[in-house]
Amino acid sequence: MTPEILYALRDPAGVPTHPWLFLILGALTLALHMAAVQVMLGTGLLTLRGAYSKNPYWRRLAAHLLITAKIAVSVAIVIGVAPLLFVQVVYDPFWYTSNVLSAWWVIGFILILIAGYIALYVFYWKNHHLETEGGRSGHWLVLSLALLLGVGYIVHALTNQMLFPEEWLAWYAPDGIIQPDGQRLHYAYPLRFGFFIALSLPVTGAWLLGYRRFQQGRPDADAAYIAWLKPLALGLLVVGGLLAVVLGALWMLTLPEKMAWFAASPWVYVALGALLITVALPLALGRTLDQGYWGYATFGLGAVALIVVCAMREVLRYFTLTGSHGYDALDYSVHMDWYSLVLFLLTFAVLGGVTLGYMLTVAWQAGQTVGRYRPSPALSRLGSLSIGLLVLWTLAYFGIGFYVWAN
Amino acid sequence: MEFLGLYPTWYEPGVGSGWIVGIISTVHVLFSHTAVGAAIFFAFLANYAHRHDRPDLLEFIRRYGLFLLVFSYVLGSITGPGIWYSTTVASPRGISALIHNFVWMWATEWVFFIIEVVGVYMLVYLANRVDRQTHLKLSVIFGLTSYTTMLVIVGILSFMMWPGKADWYTETGVLHGFYGPNTFAQLAMRTAFMFTMTAVVGGIVAARFPDPAFKKDVARKLAWLGILSAIAGVLVFRWYLTTLPDTALLVMHNRLPDWFPVGVMGMLAAVGVYFLATLIQPRLLVASGAAAMTLVVLVFGLWPGEVARESIRKPWVAGQYVYSNQVIGRDVPGRGIQSEIPLIEERGFLQTLVFLPEALRQVTPDNAVEAGRVLALTTCSNCHSLSPTGMRPLRDYFPAEVDQDAIVDYLHAGLASGNTLYMPQIPFTDDEAFALASYLATLSGPAASGAPRTARQADAPTDLQATQALVPTLAASAAREMNP
Repeated sequence: MTPEILYALRDPAGVPTHPWLFLILGALTLALHMAAVQVMLGTGLLTLRGAYSKNPYWRRLAAHLLITAKIAVSVAIVIGVAPLLFVQVVYDPFWYTSNVLSAWWVIGFILILIAGYIALYVFYWKNHHLETEGGRSGHWLVLSLALLLGVGYIVHALTNQMLFPEEWLAWYAPDGIIQPDGQRLHYAYPLRFGFFIALSLPVTGAWLLGYRRFQQGRPDADAAYIAWLKPLALGLLVVGGLLAVVLGALWMLTLPEKMAWFAASPWVYVALGALLITVALPLALGRTLDQGYWGYATFGLGAVALIVVCAMREVLRYFTLTGSHGYDALDYSVHMDWYSLVLFLLTFAVLGGVTLGYMLTVAWQAGQTVGRYRPSPALSRLGSLSIGLLVLWTLAYFGIGFYVWAN
Repeated sequence: MEFLGLYPTWYEPGVGSGWIVGIISTVHVLFSHTAVGAAIFFAFLANYAHRHDRPDLLEFIRRYGLFLLVFSYVLGSITGPGIWYSTTVASPRGISALIHNFVWMWATEWVFFIIEVVGVYMLVYLANRVDRQTHLKLSVIFGLTSYTTMLVIVGILSFMMWPGKADWYTETGVLHGFYGPNTFAQLAMRTAFMFTMTAVVGGIVAARFPDPAFKKDVARKLAWLGILSAIAGVLVFRWYLTTLPDTALLVMHNRLPDWFPVGVMGMLAAVGVYFLATLIQPRLLVASGAAAMTLVVLVFGLWPGEVARESIRKPWVAGQYVYSNQVIGRDVPGRGIQSEIPLIEERGFLQTLVFLPEALRQVTPDNAVEAGRVLALTTCSNCHSLSPTGMRPLRDYFPAEVDQDAIVDYLHAGLASGNTLYMPQIPFTDDEAFALASYLATLSGPAASGAPRTARQADAPTDLQATQALVPTLAASAAREMNP
């Protein structure tokens, strides 16, 4: 595929804002999506481990993490919409071609995800008394995890296929005969997939440290349980972190020829440093980990490390397509649309910030309260402000809409 | 060399890619509209419960919320992106046009999605753990947020039919594409339908309440909601019709299956009778009955509705400038978009397609059938199945009696000029028309099978010879297309 052909595939409508904003938002939201996916996989795995243990702490942990896993799937799905949106804006020739060439798997993604999520719910419904009675019907959880890994593998393949335009025609028309069935996944890279999946172990370790800190905040905190959690969390963080680093290094060392330059680029060392600092943080903190909000710091730093990793992945993609294929995602023609950009930014930063800030604070504080929770007057006012902003947004929608219509 | 930026084609011979998109869309509309309606109904019930000191209603909200979590927020949240995924592979340039025009509107909707998902989990898991005021606030936030997701998506769906303002083609701002009479009429229609769905699906949960007085109370509220929203739905549908382009009305009257109006009217009658019955005699509200009504609405209301919405905007798929076969058929000067029809008229498809084996760039007697198959895949298969099953199979339009010359004449007449209702303008070169006719002639032959045949499977000379024997009845088919 020559650059001329790749540019011919680009949407002639252009983009409504400079493409760099989409690249940045794509990497940021992908990192958040990956964090939810990794928490989902890690907590699911720990639930499986704990549900059948005779140790009451393991079973208690499994009962709690089962709910976490269930919610993490929802969060992963809803956050995943954003990177899916942004990749189509700046990489449309690559994303659409890759998808069409494996169309059955794209449709399969939807069905497999539904099946995986429902399997998780079935396990949940069968284990309402998991802490006291132990786990039942574990095959549903195994099935769910396998299916969720399966959808991850599909997206992994679709993302990789984007990077090989030189193969597209051969995949579409093997031996010169067009096969439009879309029944095959054409390219996967197990080490890359393994790296991102292995990250679920340290991410879950960091999540457990935050969970542990959250438990410490409850009036009825169980000190023995909290103490039991610490080595488990640190073990996941260190062992899982090292495993991910090894897989990441193998991925870098075996990169396809056209990407081999990337293995020695500073980006790799920045990402490696971010991961290692995250792993080292709780070890360096020592007893400080149990003071103030430091218990949450590892997950926060882990989120930053994931952003760095996702930025690294974006750099690899951008320069591969620019360097090897002459396609520059940043030279998309811009037809600036200030209205929709400002609407998004205000909705995201102001309405979303206030409303989610209110809701998550309520959820967090209610979770640490024994008995019925009543928020502070200041927090209640934030709730009223959220409603006011939503009403204002709706009024603006109709006001502007009727004005445009009438004119 | 100038290229036509068409993507590869995904062809599904069983039901067709369009039907797969339609099925996913229909299921998603059921889940999503129910979710939005339920969220608003939640807010109403929470307000009512707190004002009248009715904690039993809060228990209803909690239980309904749990049911909704799976029904709407598991299945709905997956089938939503599922529509993106399916249209990505079935109509990549159609979805691309929407995304490149409305990316920030979709991103705005995404913010509301996140609040909505957080909200439903909080209502379910914190229902009995937060004070009344907080619960009420969460319910109101949840209800308002759910509705805003509909406000955003309706503008984009409306653009799929046609831009809100006629000057969008020169001005092209989001506001001019997003807002128009069709936007508000469609919003009113979907809002009414959303409440009807809430009332129907809410019955599945309400039917299980053991307290007869409470069940009676909720059943009557749901029945009133269902009756009033159904009546409102019929009224605003008439308004919606007045906001459609003339071509859409023409297609609606001529091209939709005969059973659609009968099915929809029957569904409305069934919904009316059902709600009247549960209003007069609330104990008639049983879970199986409510579930059956949900199925009736899905099959006889939603399916025809979604199919009609997809069909009446043909031959376009987005903004009346992207054809259903992915070719850009109209200039949009404000965005620098040029119609691709002049390029195709000048050089044809085979000289400009990106994803084409080089051996097919020139039509020869040896490769005519295969080149024709590729042309059929590229220009027809989005709407017409190449196999005997699926959407509007091509073989039904070109029966065995039609000879190849008649097919070529048709391709050069109605299709090339763009004067066939419901069809894009498709100007084939002489060679391409010959190739496509050669392929079409094989579809009704004795060797025709479920899967599109390749050059390897089809013996081209034999097929060509077979087409010579076809009887020219295509004119009748063509006339039917041109004079609906």
